Amino acid sequence: MKRRQLLTSLAAFGCMLASALTPQDPALAQTKTIRMWTFLSATGASPREVALAQIIKNYEAANPGTKIVVETQVWDQMTPKFLAAHRAGNAPDISWVVTDFLGDAIGSGSLADLNELFIKNWPAEQVKDHASAYWDLTTKGDKQYAMFASPNYISIVYRVDLLKAAGIDPASVKTWDDLRAAAEKLTVKNAAGQVTRYGFAQGFSEQQADPHMMIPHLLGEGEKLFKPDGKANFASPAGVAAMTFATDLIKKHNVSPPQSATWTVDDLFEQFSSDRVAMIQGPSVRISALQAKLGKENVGLMLWPGNGKVAHSPAVMAGWAVGVWSKGAQKEAAGKFLDYMLGAESEKIWVTVGGQSPLMASTAKAVASFVDQPGNGYIRVAAEGASKYGWLTPIEFNVGGYRQALNKATQRIIVDGVAVKAALEEAEARFNRQNNR
Amino acid sequence: MTMYSRFTGVSYVLPAMALLMLVLFSPVLYGFWFSLFRIQYGAPTDFAGLENYARLLDDPVLAATLERSALFTCTAVALTLVIALALAVWINRLGQRLGFVVQMIVILPWIISTVVATLLFRWVFVSDIGLAGSLVRMAGMADVQLLNSPGSAMALLIGVSVWKRLGYAVIILLAGLKGIPEDYEEAAKIDGANPWQIFWLIVLPLLKTPLLLVTIVLTLSNLNTVETPLVLTGGGPGDATRILPIEVFDRAFVNFDLGSATALALVMFAGNILLVLGYVRLAKWKT
Repeated sequence: MKRRQLLTSLAAFGCMLASALTPQDPALAQTKTIRMWTFLSATGASPREVALAQIIKNYEAANPGTKIVVETQVWDQMTPKFLAAHRAGNAPDISWVVTDFLGDAIGSGSLADLNELFIKNWPAEQVKDHASAYWDLTTKGDKQYAMFASPNYISIVYRVDLLKAAGIDPASVKTWDDLRAAAEKLTVKNAAGQVTRYGFAQGFSEQQADPHMMIPHLLGEGEKLFKPDGKANFASPAGVAAMTFATDLIKKHNVSPPQSATWTVDDLFEQFSSDRVAMIQGPSVRISALQAKLGKENVGLMLWPGNGKVAHSPAVMAGWAVGVWSKGAQKEAAGKFLDYMLGAESEKIWVTVGGQSPLMASTAKAVASFVDQPGNGYIRVAAEGASKYGWLTPIEFNVGGYRQALNKATQRIIVDGVAVKAALEEAEARFNRQNNR
Repeated sequence: MTMYSRFTGVSYVLPAMALLMLVLFSPVLYGFWFSLFRIQYGAPTDFAGLENYARLLDDPVLAATLERSALFTCTAVALTLVIALALAVWINRLGQRLGFVVQMIVILPWIISTVVATLLFRWVFVSDIGLAGSLVRMAGMADVQLLNSPGSAMALLIGVSVWKRLGYAVIILLAGLKGIPEDYEEAAKIDGANPWQIFWLIVLPLLKTPLLLVTIVLTLSNLNTVETPLVLTGGGPGDATRILPIEVFDRAFVNFDLGSATALALVMFAGNILLVLGYVRLAKWKT
């Protein structure tokens, strides 16, 4: 019996050895797996996720030897995690990088030069087609470290139906006072005096923080958010005026909810989708998802108002750049996919399926008829804003934490009753201390 | 002549010990080495000695964060222990079937994912579209915004923490109660002791080991929890619920200041060890 077991075991081992030594199917042996970190899921149902899945499917069909594996990450932790993974030597082949940490990503040497990988093969017209502030932000010297995949224009997202019912034309909101007046008109109270719908809101939680609405107000006055040495410049007279406007909407005019002091971005969208707020500060990239909930014709985007000196105040353009890991073993293959994912063919999918605004001039022309369709006007607004009234965070120094610092200042003003200037000075001190400046 | 040298036993456990040392202590040692450098782009650059630790001492807000952590941990642990002990004593007196059902109900929060459970609480209290806000409005009362007031946000954080960890404490204490022979109670009754005396003079001293164990586990778990405050309050409003783990998290992943984040995490680690040693010494625990 024991001998029989021994023979069986030897036979099984022999089979395993033989199969291991037998040459594999050449197609299988050559299959390359490209790992990509993004906050999108390739199996998700949101418009941008559907677009990504379609692009990957198209690429894999055209390149049978390559498999793209999407590893979905939490969006606000992804870039620090990528930098840590770069340091540990196990980063993915491709990663999406948020603008706040773009300087760190480039400075750390974690991103490969895309000129070397594929841009050097482009004709001059193709390079020119990409010209934009986003492109310039990822250029350093003669190197191109990333390309933007998700241009994000953060301004005012509004309920078309509610503004129409209140008789407000978005084009008439030209100044900050106009914005406040519109918010007052849109705020609704019940018989008991309780507010059932607020005119305007932004989430001020430190978690999942979007850039503060005081930034466009401040930039419109020609002030800067950071000093040349990277120190915060929040408590300037223009900064105090901007923060006062934002907090007065809550404290003085009662057109913005005090509970927004602890709202995250997701809380804000829930309120907006529940008819509890008519206008919110929101990113253009989330509009397609909001339209999917509320109806395509019911959600629009408007530029920030101006101040009489400028037609519109500059909005923060956050967005996501995508780069190839510099120490990856498959840089060529990763670059090839990145070239396709952000190329002309794919960008049409990002726009028409994902609801993003185009980055390339050629795409803007190609999708003109799509943008003209009802409900798609926000794409034109975001593109116009990005070209004329946009602001990108500097990458010469790390600005991580500035959103949280400003949101905390807002909480201190609304909840703790701290004076605006004192709260902004606190925020400056905290930001500078946290960044060793 | 013996076949075994005095090192035979050691040699048997050496591989397991080596593995444990590698898994448990190498990250601490690496972290300590890491904390002695200036960190740029996630990588150590110049040797900085204890500079990252000195920066912690210079931080004007860290003392308040430490105070809040102590308040949160002490209150949450004390409340959990008192409620868990009362529940365990009650369940111990129930019949077998009912006792089993109550145990299952009590342990449910412990087995639910912390993030999921905390998110549920957040949705209940997140303001006027939350369940709590709706109920308050239906009752015709003014809006209560628990997450927006510093005091109530901390109270809510403590409440969620107690709710989450109560099941674990009840089960451990119940096991301890079931291990006490019934003869002791009967003998005390014959000697004329009342129920309170039985509990105070017989049951409680015999529960010393499970109580110590539960206290240590609850203290460490509350002191190091990041998911609950992160999801429920995000440390706000203002700094009202900002406790040490959130401070480490923000330093590391919001500001990407890995040097001081690592230094603070190591200080917390040392604090944890001191706390455990202190507990054991206070309880004069002998094995």
